[in-house]
Amino acid sequence: MTNTRQIRDAYIVAASRLPVARRNGMFRNVRPDDMLAHAIRAVMDQAPGLDPARIGDVIVGCAMPEAEQGMNVARIGLLLAGLPNTVPGITINRFCSSGLQAVANAADQIRLGLADVMIAAGAESMSAMPQIMGNKVALNPAVFAQPENIGIAYGMGLTAEKVASQWKISREDQDAFALASHQKACAAIAAGHFRAETTPYPIREHLPDLASGTVKIRQRMADTDEGPRADSAPDKLAKLKPVFHARGSVTAGNSSQMSDGAAAVLLVSEPVLKELGLAPLARFVGFAVAGVPPEIMGIGPIAAIPKVLQQTGIRQDELDWIELNEAFAAQSLAVMRELGLNPEKVNPLGGAIALGHPLGATGAIRTATVTHGLRRTSGRYGMVTMCIGTGMGAAGIFERL
Amino acid sequence: MNKLIVKRAAVLGAGVMGAQIAAHLANAGVPVLLFDLPAKEGDKNGVVNKALDGLRKLEPSPLASASRLRHIAAANYDEHLPLLAGCDLVIEAIAERMDWKHALYARIAPHLSDAAILASNTSGLSINVLAEGLPEPARVRFCGIHFFNPPRYMHLVEIIATRSSDAAMLDRLETWLTSRLGKGVIRALDTPNFIANRVGVFSMLAVMHHTATFGLGFDEVDALTGPKIGRPKSATYRTADVVGLDTLAHVIRTMQETLPDDPWHRHFAVPAWLEALIGQGALGQKTRCGIFRKQGKEIQVLDLQQRDYRPAQASVAAEVEEMLKMRRPAEKFAALRGSNHPQAQFLWAIFRDVFHYCAVQLEHIADNARDVDLALRWGFGWAQGPLETWQAAGWESIAQAIAADIASGKALSTAPLPAWVTADGRGGVHAAQGSWSAARGEYAPRSVLPVYRRQIFPEVVLGETAGTPEKSGQTLFENEGVRLWVLPEIDAGIGILSFKSKMHAIGDEVLDGVLAAVELAERTLDGVVVWHQAPFAVGANLKQIGTACAAGQFEMLEQTIAKFQRASLAFKYAQVPVVAAVQGMALGGGCEFVMHAGHRVLALESYIGLVEAGVGLIPGGGGCKEFALRAAAWAAQSATPGEVMNFLQPVFQAIAMAKVSKSAEEAIDYGFARPSDTVLFNAHELLHVALREARALAEAGYAPPLKARDIPVAGRTGIANFEMMLVNMKEGAMISAHDYKVARAAAVALCGGEVEAGSRVDEDWLLAVERQEFMKLLRTPETQARIAQMMETGKPLRN
Repeated sequence: MTNTRQIRDAYIVAASRLPVARRNGMFRNVRPDDMLAHAIRAVMDQAPGLDPARIGDVIVGCAMPEAEQGMNVARIGLLLAGLPNTVPGITINRFCSSGLQAVANAADQIRLGLADVMIAAGAESMSAMPQIMGNKVALNPAVFAQPENIGIAYGMGLTAEKVASQWKISREDQDAFALASHQKACAAIAAGHFRAETTPYPIREHLPDLASGTVKIRQRMADTDEGPRADSAPDKLAKLKPVFHARGSVTAGNSSQMSDGAAAVLLVSEPVLKELGLAPLARFVGFAVAGVPPEIMGIGPIAAIPKVLQQTGIRQDELDWIELNEAFAAQSLAVMRELGLNPEKVNPLGGAIALGHPLGATGAIRTATVTHGLRRTSGRYGMVTMCIGTGMGAAGIFERL
Repeated sequence: MNKLIVKRAAVLGAGVMGAQIAAHLANAGVPVLLFDLPAKEGDKNGVVNKALDGLRKLEPSPLASASRLRHIAAANYDEHLPLLAGCDLVIEAIAERMDWKHALYARIAPHLSDAAILASNTSGLSINVLAEGLPEPARVRFCGIHFFNPPRYMHLVEIIATRSSDAAMLDRLETWLTSRLGKGVIRALDTPNFIANRVGVFSMLAVMHHTATFGLGFDEVDALTGPKIGRPKSATYRTADVVGLDTLAHVIRTMQETLPDDPWHRHFAVPAWLEALIGQGALGQKTRCGIFRKQGKEIQVLDLQQRDYRPAQASVAAEVEEMLKMRRPAEKFAALRGSNHPQAQFLWAIFRDVFHYCAVQLEHIADNARDVDLALRWGFGWAQGPLETWQAAGWESIAQAIAADIASGKALSTAPLPAWVTADGRGGVHAAQGSWSAARGEYAPRSVLPVYRRQIFPEVVLGETAGTPEKSGQTLFENEGVRLWVLPEIDAGIGILSFKSKMHAIGDEVLDGVLAAVELAERTLDGVVVWHQAPFAVGANLKQIGTACAAGQFEMLEQTIAKFQRASLAFKYAQVPVVAAVQGMALGGGCEFVMHAGHRVLALESYIGLVEAGVGLIPGGGGCKEFALRAAAWAAQSATPGEVMNFLQPVFQAIAMAKVSKSAEEAIDYGFARPSDTVLFNAHELLHVALREARALAEAGYAPPLKARDIPVAGRTGIANFEMMLVNMKEGAMISAHDYKVARAAAVALCGGEVEAGSRVDEDWLLAVERQEFMKLLRTPETQARIAQMMETGKPLRN
């Protein structure tokens, strides 16, 4: 058996997420800092007896840290969550892996002995962004000066088209993959498999009631992911037109959904674990990130997964559960085929095509999914991995305890 | 005369016509309640909501802009009838059933206000009988108001009085429809199908009859009965498909039932093949299959002999084509009549029978001949009405020919021509004193309703003597390209600048003329109105540019572009107000002139855009410069005054994709015109209003704007942002390499050149950048190829 013990380990004692909403869906009027505060409160509630003043830092991943989620959303979120003002907070950004990066950075603080209690989180409201590139687009003209940098200017969909043609991923395979994602997600919701990892969010909206001239308060509880389509069907998917290339294969149906979401993960050192008698969900095993050409950014995991396996000494076939972010069906299939990932272990509850992809929050959200999922299925090692815009891949490994 | 004030209107019936009438009322700034039956399930407004959704998708759009939809409120008869009390005009447009209409009238009558006008959009039922469904007091405010489909675009509205309709109410309604909704109103009599449909549908029946007689194909007949004889492109059978074959059959049956004594009655029958199509559910456009259908990219036509569809092929015989090209109508008709070619004989036959029908029916269906001719022009899109066509072809000789064909049994009916046709050596029905009223036996002058005084140059039928613009007024200056003139009886101080070129294209002589005219106007006039009939201008004279390119005269071309820019600036900085009176297309350079005028009066149907990209160019007459200035001005009013990028984005797309506004309102949305400009619904009123606007500006102490200085530009970062869009489109095979080059040039011109973002420049700088980018493109073989193809074929080249 592989020995992956480290000098000092970081343990996940709580991991919780909000349901993921479609862009401009149920969280249209919910602020990302409020979502973040709610996720932080949820994990703190799961560790009664833990003095919040002991939290060394709150690290929050966010891919578009501006406007509603600007101003260092980590600090605002933790204060709104009611943590003492002695607890610091930092917002970090590595696009789609930001939430996973936050978990890795938090674990590292513990592993280095610099902290005993850490919160890692992710929050993203794509509803709050007027466009995918943020409030003010300002590309560097130098991008066009060197042909090798032109990929920086490529939209993500175009990079997916490049991956599809380079790895020969057919439209039919992409659509079938997308359909399976919806079917798995719907089945998981029906079976209640997301219940343990999800903390419902009470939506409270102040709406103008023009007829009565009063402000109406509308309240509802959000407890289920909004993205999965029970009525997804092959003919419906086949009808959609390619968006990014006139003769392409990438459609709105086989791409990830734009979403709003947040999650938080509470990590502690072994001494704290013992001191408070906390039951760990999982142990953080390792994390790696690697760069690839920007124009085929979707293959990022092809570089990151072997790297983290080598670092941790874990064999690919030891992984029982792989959360591979479905940025696009095209890149997901390319990664799976290139690395020979076992399809049965990849996204057993569906992926971002059905469940949504709130950019910087996704890594933290899927950490909650994989740690709770391993526990439910008694698996041992699980992975969260994703491709990253401008050409990177990230992968993190967790061990159920 | 009291003015009709419509603060709120209701339309009853959310079918194709009702919903579109509601849309046009909303276009005109009237809030509308659109009623229909309550939905059986779910939201009771479900039926209307569905119709409103349909309005959004309909092409050509019934809405002047998508936001107009907000001003149509959905309503249903169960819940909202009390709201009718607040409506000044109620238009009923439900299904054509007398019993249903009477039942509805009984239901709504108690809710109508005492001053409200109720009008039915029926196209076939008797207005007098409809009125019987109303209580006595409401009948005085009831009449027929017959719109044509699509109501935004078809100029005609027939008003039909009942025996009890209040005459003053009708005048008020006519005035309102003419000026506010921009319609051409014809007073029709309460006879079946009124005027336009009575003659227009008869014409279709005659075409169908002779199609069979002469053994022609439907596609062949459409080739013959379209633009070649001054009728719409959809000609006869494609029009039938668009209207709906079931609807057409319904109209024919109505004629059959309601016109038993019409001498042509035996021809009012639905042909067996048409019945068969309807039976198969092939109803035309709405079922994607009718007389024509589209299989993949191929248009197919029903062939009665083959009992199947075959590829459609338009074919007019060369000899017939020659006849149709004859300039003199008398010769043309003589040639058609004398020819043995079945196509020629067919054409003569359909004209003859319509002439014959109009002559016999004139006294029964219309007050006078002008009403018939204008009704067919405005309701069916004929370039010329039937009676004026006859008159143009030589009244007497055609009358003799018709009489001969009646005698020989060739005509569809043996009814003799009425005596007035040949009495008193008649030369026609339209004359200086008016148009012939067969019923009254005299010539009827034009309406003297004051609203028509707003139409300085109304649409006239052939034979009327009203002046044409070209021959009116006093000329102050004239060259090959333009004429500057005044109408002293209206305002001797406001010059009218009219372009003389074909389609009002802007060539060197127009530019010279504009510069000279503005200079003269500054010295001798109080203001200038740029006005001529539609189109406003289709852009620069491509032929001149193409020829100079071919000859390698690029220095001369650069001077021409500089002159174009000077002409635009002359409008903008003239010491007297320059008011552009716009109708129809204002493209490319035409759009740039519109943008640079001091003020604009726009007909609703104004199609404005910077379309230079289609020929591989960018706006070079100050259009890019003007948008760079405007973006800076818009940004100055925002929270981030130096950030122009957000304001350039939509402009860049409009230029790169050569977007053209589909209405005056859209032109304002795109920024080609300004919210402070005047939008008119009736294009015939443009000159009247523009002259007064120019006078008002002059009286208010008009001063041109100061030259903009310290203009922040988006610079290199802005260009990079646009280039990012372009890279994705090119890599995605959505645009060609040359499209990329053209759009990037537009980006450079809009962003003020390759300078740092936020750099401050002036107007001359922006003009120079625009000129340089324009000239760079002009020197490319790809752009030259695009210009050449546009000149040769009128269609853009994608290279």
